[in-house]
Amino acid sequence: MRLLSLFLTFAFTLPAANYYLIVAGLGGAPEYEKQFEQWASETERALQAGGPNVHVETLSGAKATRQQLSETLTKMASDVQPDDTFGLLMIGHGTFDGDNYKFNLPGPDITAGELATLLDRIPAKRQLVVNMTSASGASLPLLARKGRVVITATKSGNEKNLTVFPRYFLDALRDPEADTDKSGSLSALEAFRYTQRKTVNYFESEKLLATEHAMLDDTGSKDGARDPSATNGEGLAASAFPLIPPSTGPTVAASPEKQKLLARKEDLEAKIDRLKYQKAAMPEEEYKREMAQLLLDLARTQAEIDR
Amino acid sequence: MKWWYLFCLLPGLATASPLDDCRTFQHHGQRQETEACFERLTHSDDAFLRAEGFWGLGRLEDANAQFKIAHDEHKNSPEVRVEWGKLFVAGQNTQEAANLFQEALKLDENYAPAFLALARLAGGFDKRSEDLTRHAIELNPKFVEAHEYLARLALEDNDPKLATQEAHTALSLSTDALDAMSVLASIDFLNGQTQSDWMTRILKVNPIYGEAYATAAYFFIINRRYNEGVEFYREALKLNPDLNDARSELGINLLRLGDDEEARQELVRSYNAHFSSPETRNALRFLDTEKDYEVLHGPHSIVVLNKKEAALLAPYIQPELETVIATYQKKYKTTLPGPVRLEVYPNHDDFIVRTLGLPGQGGLLGVTFNSVVAMDSPSARPPGEFRWSATIWHELSHVYVLYMTHELTPRWFTEGLAVHEESAHESDWSDRLTPEIVEALQKKQLLPVLKLEQGFLRPQFPSQVMVSYYEAGKMCDFIIEKYGNDAILGMIHSFSIRKDTAAAIEDNLHEKPEAFDKEFSAWLDKKTGSTVAHFADWKKSMQAGPDKITPVEAKRLEDDYPEYTGEYSTYELLAGLYSNHGDKAAARRELEKYRDMGGHSVATLKKLAGLEQEAGDNKEAEKTLKNVDDIYLEDEDVHRKLGTLMLNQGDAGGAIREYQAAIALKPEDVAETHYDLARALMAAKRDKEAKDEVLVALEAAPGFKPAQKLLLQLSQ
Repeated sequence: MRLLSLFLTFAFTLPAANYYLIVAGLGGAPEYEKQFEQWASETERALQAGGPNVHVETLSGAKATRQQLSETLTKMASDVQPDDTFGLLMIGHGTFDGDNYKFNLPGPDITAGELATLLDRIPAKRQLVVNMTSASGASLPLLARKGRVVITATKSGNEKNLTVFPRYFLDALRDPEADTDKSGSLSALEAFRYTQRKTVNYFESEKLLATEHAMLDDTGSKDGARDPSATNGEGLAASAFPLIPPSTGPTVAASPEKQKLLARKEDLEAKIDRLKYQKAAMPEEEYKREMAQLLLDLARTQAEIDR
Repeated sequence: MKWWYLFCLLPGLATASPLDDCRTFQHHGQRQETEACFERLTHSDDAFLRAEGFWGLGRLEDANAQFKIAHDEHKNSPEVRVEWGKLFVAGQNTQEAANLFQEALKLDENYAPAFLALARLAGGFDKRSEDLTRHAIELNPKFVEAHEYLARLALEDNDPKLATQEAHTALSLSTDALDAMSVLASIDFLNGQTQSDWMTRILKVNPIYGEAYATAAYFFIINRRYNEGVEFYREALKLNPDLNDARSELGINLLRLGDDEEARQELVRSYNAHFSSPETRNALRFLDTEKDYEVLHGPHSIVVLNKKEAALLAPYIQPELETVIATYQKKYKTTLPGPVRLEVYPNHDDFIVRTLGLPGQGGLLGVTFNSVVAMDSPSARPPGEFRWSATIWHELSHVYVLYMTHELTPRWFTEGLAVHEESAHESDWSDRLTPEIVEALQKKQLLPVLKLEQGFLRPQFPSQVMVSYYEAGKMCDFIIEKYGNDAILGMIHSFSIRKDTAAAIEDNLHEKPEAFDKEFSAWLDKKTGSTVAHFADWKKSMQAGPDKITPVEAKRLEDDYPEYTGEYSTYELLAGLYSNHGDKAAARRELEKYRDMGGHSVATLKKLAGLEQEAGDNKEAEKTLKNVDDIYLEDEDVHRKLGTLMLNQGDAGGAIREYQAAIALKPEDVAETHYDLARALMAAKRDKEAKDEVLVALEAAPGFKPAQKLLLQLSQ
């Protein structure tokens, strides 16, 4: 009991950090170069708004070389702790020759396999890769791993057009409406769904044939899903990945009693998330009953916290 | 063997040609002889005769191959080209057919059969068809088929006198002119005779001539008398079960009447017999989508909705339909014998295939077949393009008028009354005086009442159908204003006992049609004269570009043509100008005029609701958003805003419907919308449902504090 309390105190007083590396690849033309750099810098700003525990590095323009990218990821492998979160956000052009996905960078490109090797060295248990490039779907099977959320802008390497995904992903980071569970934070799953919806709307409203179909994999299945849900099992880890953490987190000043309540709240939230993913395997009535009880307990706990 | 061959050839030698022999057998319904005759033709040395032989046996591909050879062999024969073209018509390839008919005319510019073939290709409702047929007759006054076809065209044009005259001309040239007699029999049947002497004569010539009944069926269908049409198609098939085009038509019309099962059977039978018109294929394809629809039963109605949008539409469409039925039951003093079936299609092409058989008719919004109404869903068209609720009022008026007149109403009357009913229900739904109509008024293109039917059936200029709708609607407005609703009921009765428009007017309005026209014209002039007088100026200013219009000019244009609510209406222009100067109250006034004048741009009306809400006038904002609901139901934002306004005004029932609509549209903010619905349900004292909804909200957003509070409140 004492140990648990100590752990909780530690957890709340020294919260885990969120590390991000944003890479804007080779534009190939001045307008793309400018666009990629702008998306990268605005994405950095949006992530930084997450608070002092967010550490963002951006590589763009001439700096975004394969060597620089390797070195930065190697350095991060030593800085990032297992309880921290780590995210790699890739903007730009990608190519797929039928065998290999390559992220286009000034100088030599980097393959999905090389990226996977570098990412595997990062000790963070919760990782996120958002590959927003064209043909990014081809990178998914190589990057996918248990504990890593992989989002790609396209479903395969054959979707080769310039993607609109980064524009809407950036919007997701800034638009409060993306926080659909109204938790005050933005999960990777919420950002994915928001971006996906906006991308679909874009092609529909412009009456264009959709040239990109975003995918998400967070189970290491390497197949990914376009509609992550309890049915296909994808999305649970993504829902727990805090892309933008809550703006007002627990404070050191919280009393032990309040800390207990906060811990209970976190536990209930985790149970609710798990239950959602068991829905398909449960009788409907049982699911409803259990969910209602958990939600009621959570509401009561929150009321006590707010008292 | 040799003897037999000689014997078989003898009849051919006795008449003009072996092909004529076969056609004579065919004309007289001598099946075995016909078949044997055509079979013999397939062994002819002449490719043209072989082609005709194969065609007569129904072997279209072989016929086509032989025609191809004949085309090369008979380089100067217009007949070969016309016959081959007809084969293409049978195979639904109208372009190739037209090319061949033209080729025939290049060889002989006076070849009458080519003109008749082109006339048939143009179709009865195209003015060119009549012109081409008349030209064929000029070239060959003894051309029986052309006279027969002209008789048919005249009857299509609702001119039985001319039809009779032309049919008799054909019969004077050939006493066996079956199609002429079919037209005459059709006239008898349309006039209510159950038997026709012409039918007896036809059957004496050809005992299996089902085409005669099929002709009658066709005329019943185009006169909206679907039940009788179907029965005549059945008669046609009894005489000759091989009439696959008639079978397909039977299937298509059964489909119109909502008898999907029998429709499918007939269409499949027709298709399996290698009759594959685009209409047949479309109808079969359409029937395959049946599983996508949900059937909802109301006290006096059956509503068929696509499953994808049933949850959204049902709470609006079903009550509206029941309201319309209750209103008309009282107004028309009539109870329908059974429920009205309303089918709503989210895909416009499905709706058109369901009603006309072929996609591509962009303008239609709804069609009535007796007590079956099919219409576009609000989602089938871009927001603001039509008012779904007005379409229901319009079409249901047809249901009543068709029933009360035993489907004997002229089109101008039923359409006019339907247009009138739209504005009788809501004044701002009235048929707008669009620029095309003003132009027609200016050019004095409105038709006298006795000719108004032509405006619907044989339009002489592109917008004439639309102009005729307007004119007919105004005529009914005028009749009701001057003579009262009973005069309309009286006219309905007159039509039901087979009186024509002239008699219906004289019996019920007690004046001659000419006097009626004069009075109506003066009445309409009072209403539209000023707009017509200023139209040229208005047009000039609008053509110069809306950005060049000054506020003073816009005000003047608005006064000159107040009914204009189309693109760049002066209401919207002025509202924009006022908004730019920060005068929101003036902008709001302009947009309220736009709304009340029937403007239906969803974006503009939403803007107005925003201005009204900003000014704290929630009642007006609610009115505006309800107006949007009547136009377009696919806007989640509108439902949520209207729901909140209604809830704040204490209308929990209305709010529940709006929030449920927002949920049916799969809102982006699931939690907030279900929470809103929970609040509305709680206000309606439906706590259990409210709790269910708040739990759905919290399932999506477990930490959503207002929903948590509501849950605790509901759990006490």
